[in-house]
Amino acid sequence: MALRTPSPTSPAASGPPGHRAAAPRGRMARHLSVSTTPTRLRLLLTGLLLACLAWGAVGAWTVLQHASAAQDVVSTSEPLSLNAQQMYRSLSDADVTATTAFLAGPNESLGDRQRYTADINQAATDLSNLNGAATSGSNRQLLASLAAISTALPVYTSYVSQAQSEYHLGYLLTGGSFMQVASEVMHLQLLPAAKTIYAQENAGLTAASARATGLPWIAVVVVLAIGIGFVLFRAQRWLWRSTHRRINYGLAVATAVLAACVLWLIVAFTVARADLQQGVGHGSGPAETLAQADIDAQLIRGDEILNLISRSGNASFLQDYHSVRGQLGPGPGTLLTEAAGSSPGGAGAQWASAAAHDVQAWYAVNDQVYRLDSESRYPTETQLVIGTGPTSSAAGFGRVETDLSHAIAADQVVFHSNATAGGNAFTGLEAGVIVAALLMALGCAWGLSVRLAEYR
Amino acid sequence: MGSVARYRILIAIAAAVPLMLSGAACSSGNPASPVAVPSSAGSGGGVPLTPAPAPQTLYEAGSTLLQQAMGHWAAGYHDQYPNVVVKPGGGGSTKGISEASAGTINIGGSDAYLSSGDLVKNPTLLNVPLAISAQQVNYNVPGLRPGTNLHLDGLVLAKMYDGTIKTWSNPAISQLNPHVSLPSTPVVPLHRSDGSGDTFLFTSYLSTHDSNWNRNFGYGTKVAWPKVAGAKGETGNQGMVKGCHDTVGCVAYIGISFQNAANQAQLGEAALLNTANQPELPNKTSIDAAVAAFVSSTPPNETISMIDGPASTGYPIVNYEYAIVSTQQRSATAARDLKAFLHWIITTGNSLPYLGSSQFQPLPGPVVSLSDAQIAKIR
Repeated sequence: MALRTPSPTSPAASGPPGHRAAAPRGRMARHLSVSTTPTRLRLLLTGLLLACLAWGAVGAWTVLQHASAAQDVVSTSEPLSLNAQQMYRSLSDADVTATTAFLAGPNESLGDRQRYTADINQAATDLSNLNGAATSGSNRQLLASLAAISTALPVYTSYVSQAQSEYHLGYLLTGGSFMQVASEVMHLQLLPAAKTIYAQENAGLTAASARATGLPWIAVVVVLAIGIGFVLFRAQRWLWRSTHRRINYGLAVATAVLAACVLWLIVAFTVARADLQQGVGHGSGPAETLAQADIDAQLIRGDEILNLISRSGNASFLQDYHSVRGQLGPGPGTLLTEAAGSSPGGAGAQWASAAAHDVQAWYAVNDQVYRLDSESRYPTETQLVIGTGPTSSAAGFGRVETDLSHAIAADQVVFHSNATAGGNAFTGLEAGVIVAALLMALGCAWGLSVRLAEYR
Repeated sequence: MGSVARYRILIAIAAAVPLMLSGAACSSGNPASPVAVPSSAGSGGGVPLTPAPAPQTLYEAGSTLLQQAMGHWAAGYHDQYPNVVVKPGGGGSTKGISEASAGTINIGGSDAYLSSGDLVKNPTLLNVPLAISAQQVNYNVPGLRPGTNLHLDGLVLAKMYDGTIKTWSNPAISQLNPHVSLPSTPVVPLHRSDGSGDTFLFTSYLSTHDSNWNRNFGYGTKVAWPKVAGAKGETGNQGMVKGCHDTVGCVAYIGISFQNAANQAQLGEAALLNTANQPELPNKTSIDAAVAAFVSSTPPNETISMIDGPASTGYPIVNYEYAIVSTQQRSATAARDLKAFLHWIITTGNSLPYLGSSQFQPLPGPVVSLSDAQIAKIR
């Protein structure tokens, strides 16, 4: 079948596709050569093949980036952030437990001993996980903080052991001074480093979430797809007009595959982004707020203990207590109020509300503790701080801790399920994009080579 | 991977304990060393042996117990280095700590080590032992033969201070002093009304001996003293000496550098029972014996309580006299001059001509090394 001469407005308007051109010479000859239909078809074929394959490569890489970022959020960044938060809590609790057990008397209870040991083991495990995940390319501040904990943790435990040994030998005050030195290592080295690590790992989680939900590369892929789709449309229109309205099935298949793949890509990305944003907004975001609240509660408890054992100087943690309490809340702009309002009706928010309620009773005990301290009534203060009765500070702190732990766990479940669903939305997409690109290339090759064959 | 790494950490922790202990035990030094460059001085080298040539004034305040020795050190150092003037201030240990924290003075004198709270709130502070001190218990009991040293222990003293023992003829006191005829004079406990390292030391001793005292009043630089009829609060060691002199039946805790003042005021001096139930007076032999038991376990930051130690011939209330200093001085010259002065105190200044009148004892060699390592951190 002979080709029809294209209209002047068609992409091939400058040449007569129905005739094989005579071999021209010089510049004009080259111009005429490029203008011939077979040459145009070859150029079109080459361009479309390259465009399809390039789009497939960019598309697959983009999907891989988003999918791995989503996977990273779920399997790496979030667990590391959890490890870091857990390590801070374990270290702080170890010091509170060791100190209160020491103040309670020489016969440390089995429960206290087990709790202290469990805290140190948990901190060591978390440190090991965090060290294992850190690479030489990691943030220097993170590496320095990890190294600081690796160095200071054995120092801390050795001072606690020495304090306990002295106490068992009957030297209460010598043991007390070693316990004091241990607390100084905890508060001056371990806890600041643990807080830095948590901040770094939490920033890593935020960055991974941003990578998983970021727009730039997916937009590039869609724009490229629109460009290729436009070329395919123009090519098909040209061939439609020049072949007496015959459909070029190869190019049509390529166009259909491109449209389907772009649709898949957009739907998958939209679903993944929505899920991840839901996970961040109602899961990791509130969990981070609650983790900060938990650190504040640990700080208040730790300072209360420090205040209690600081008998030889002037330091008072009363101002620090009021400052941290103002940050913890409840109240407008405070951590507990923010967490309670982050996902109304959610389990995490309900536990946060419980913490906001329970913390008030604990504050009342703390107020009493600091009043007793200002009056140098150490024994009453000690009983209130380390006693085990329901009105003690230890009990109040325990209730707030339980509330916060439940709230964090509930928000982590929300985050995990949403983030996992978000990550799953990318399942098969990377391979799908590659297959689609290959199919598009094959369609173009087939559709255009049929036309080229007519010139041989 | 997780469990293997966990056990590695645990093994590292377990391995570090004996290493640390052996490291502490090996950190000995020579106080008479002409070049003070401690190996543990940290980055930046050792301690200068001389001050800069420019005029310098260093300010000290705090422990009244340390004030006398500081006066001798200041004068001796000025004789050797006329460009450096040291101005001791007194005012009590609490004042020394707070002013050193605030940076208004270069040296805060304290009978007590820094609390955890002070260190956590101001991590630039160091407590550097300058000498060894002790605390005596004095009394004004009429009718005793000259040269009598009543035997007292922490339990009896606690009962005197909480009002349970009301007269000097109480059987609990008589039991400790079977060959002494005691009058029925009412006991008048004197305590420091200002924040005091002496109060911290004394109430620490009471707390170790009497669980009731520990449970009801505890220990600290300030204590909510029991309401006892006639009990008096005094300011400074000088106030305690004068108050006791003026009050028949008094019992008072007084820093050893006021021993001569107490003797001049004709106050009696108690022999305190140590952990071996041996009555000991505070003298060079009993103080050195008490401290020797703690030298190897003194940690690098030199925070340690030596109350009621294990030495059978040791005096039970001994302590390091601390200089509370900030590692951050206002200038490099001030830092250099302060380091040189502190090093001079723990070496040249730890000799009899300077310590004799205050009854302080020199630091043991390993403690000098630890102090030098801390001094080297001043910048």
